[in-house]
Amino acid sequence: MVNAIASAPPIGESAFVRRALIATAVLFLTAFLLTPLAVIFAVAFGKGVQAYLASFRDPDTLSAIRLTLVAAAIAVPANLVFGIAAAWAIGKFEFVGKGVLVAFIDLPFAVSPVVAGLTYVLVFGAQGLLGPTLAAHGIRIIFAIPGIVLATIFVTVPFIARELLPLMAAQGNDEEEAALTLGANGWQTFLRVTVPNVKWALLYGVILCNARAMGEFGAVSVVSGHIRGLTDTMPLQIEVLYNDYQFVPAFAVATLLALLALATLLIKSVVEWRVGTVKGNAG
Amino acid sequence: MSISVRQITKRFGGFTALDGVDIEIPHGSLVALLGPSGSGKTTLLRIIAGLESADEGSVRFDGEDISNRTARERRVGFVFQHYALFRHMSVFENVAFGLRVRPRSTRPSPERIRARVHELLDLIQLGNQAQRYPSQLSGGQRQRVALARALAVEPSVLLLDEPFGALDAKVRLELRRWLRSLHDEVGVTSVFVTHDQDEALEVADWVAVMNQGRIEQIGTPDEVYNAPASSFVYNFLGNVNLFHGRVDDGTAYINDVETGHVAFVRPHALEIARKPPSGTQYFRAVVRHVNAAGPVAKVEALTDWGAPVHVELSQERYRELAIRKGEEVFVTPKDIAVFAKEQRAG
Repeated sequence: MVNAIASAPPIGESAFVRRALIATAVLFLTAFLLTPLAVIFAVAFGKGVQAYLASFRDPDTLSAIRLTLVAAAIAVPANLVFGIAAAWAIGKFEFVGKGVLVAFIDLPFAVSPVVAGLTYVLVFGAQGLLGPTLAAHGIRIIFAIPGIVLATIFVTVPFIARELLPLMAAQGNDEEEAALTLGANGWQTFLRVTVPNVKWALLYGVILCNARAMGEFGAVSVVSGHIRGLTDTMPLQIEVLYNDYQFVPAFAVATLLALLALATLLIKSVVEWRVGTVKGNAG
Repeated sequence: MSISVRQITKRFGGFTALDGVDIEIPHGSLVALLGPSGSGKTTLLRIIAGLESADEGSVRFDGEDISNRTARERRVGFVFQHYALFRHMSVFENVAFGLRVRPRSTRPSPERIRARVHELLDLIQLGNQAQRYPSQLSGGQRQRVALARALAVEPSVLLLDEPFGALDAKVRLELRRWLRSLHDEVGVTSVFVTHDQDEALEVADWVAVMNQGRIEQIGTPDEVYNAPASSFVYNFLGNVNLFHGRVDDGTAYINDVETGHVAFVRPHALEIARKPPSGTQYFRAVVRHVNAAGPVAKVEALTDWGAPVHVELSQERYRELAIRKGEEVFVTPKDIAVFAKEQRAG
């Protein structure tokens, strides 16, 4: 490896240019990613471990953590079902309007989360399209948990479908057809052939989806109404605490999200390594 | 089980893949569907398997109409060109799959499944590779596993889609002979698709030559090769020299006024001489290229009227003539087949 870098490759830049590029990348990452990450932990533990742990005894914070877990626990499975269904349909079948469906799946990437949140307010809010009907039946969506769940689902729609789509399209239908001719029914084919073939991409998609579901701020902020102890999720609670000058608790909650991000990265690396070796073998 | 295909038509959008195809496949036979790409042979195979549905016509197994049955209900063994092995399963699990997915009432016991799988792995000479994964096998081994997997469910018919298409020439030759002997051993009615005429002629009991969604001719390899029913079949099976000309009173005049006839002569049915032969028709040609590597010597010559002509000589005859590039020779056709020009394009 060291030799490979030291000896100039037939196509490539001089050693100086390569080192300069690497140094730039490292500096950039340090300045914009590693330092902030270090600061989060530094501030959170700035007044000792006791103060850090005390942050999690605040009932409002605990409620925010609970709500975040609930929202993710609903949004991720919902998108898992949708993502697999959409990727299967798009990757393995030809139908009219396929391009439109793909574009719709990408919509949450393109739309600002705040705009997404506002749309939900316009549809389900008290002054909104369905607001009066819902109010008449005693159903509250905006400024309540259902709104938060809906907004979370919206912003996380693309993650699983996007991970599965290219892989499913590349794998084609041969194995499914083989399973069919061997007498497997639809479910057997799906569970024994389709899912195992995409399991790493699926896991990766779920992890990304979960990270985003727990970290979402914009869309949730619009529909939540910021009722402390009721409709604040972790990211919202962090903002509330920070604005109250409660830096240790704010950064303590932030460490949870940071750890989630680190865990996501770790699992992502493992998954990519696994997918890489599987592909390598398939040659 | 015999297969009977009646008036099958299949269109993909504006393209007619199959145009009223009829074929009878007798019980226990090994039939090749031979044709160029786009001739509809794979579509026909997939319709027999139930992986594709026909727009018109019916498929019968032993006289029973099964057109409306799913691929699952037809109990066919299907072997794909690119193997379609389950990549996350070992060789053993691949072969066992068809038995494992059976409903509990008809599923063999784990011991029976194990015994059956090992029996099949021995049949394909991969008994010691049971725990390997498809990615660890060579192409030829993968295709044999695919075959064992299809045979595990004791299919009523075995359908193979270009089974050797993705393999290199030597493995292909080996595997097709092996398929022939396997068929003689197992005896299940088998249909395989190929674009390689050597493969079809060598392996099959019957060859169905397909072109543009139709079957041009069905016959034994001997029949389709030696008595082609159409110019397409003549052209597709083996190398040919093609001469345009006319037919008058039972005599063919090549390189004459074109009146819509073509004459075909196989390269080995042309005789070369250094002097004009007496008592027989001939034409002059100038030798352009000689390739004597191989069982026969191949000579490419240019006729007076500027058409290339390919001649195959035995090595003996070639040494006797000792012809070289640039020399003038006299060519006599020994066996000509004349067809009226086809009205259809292509």
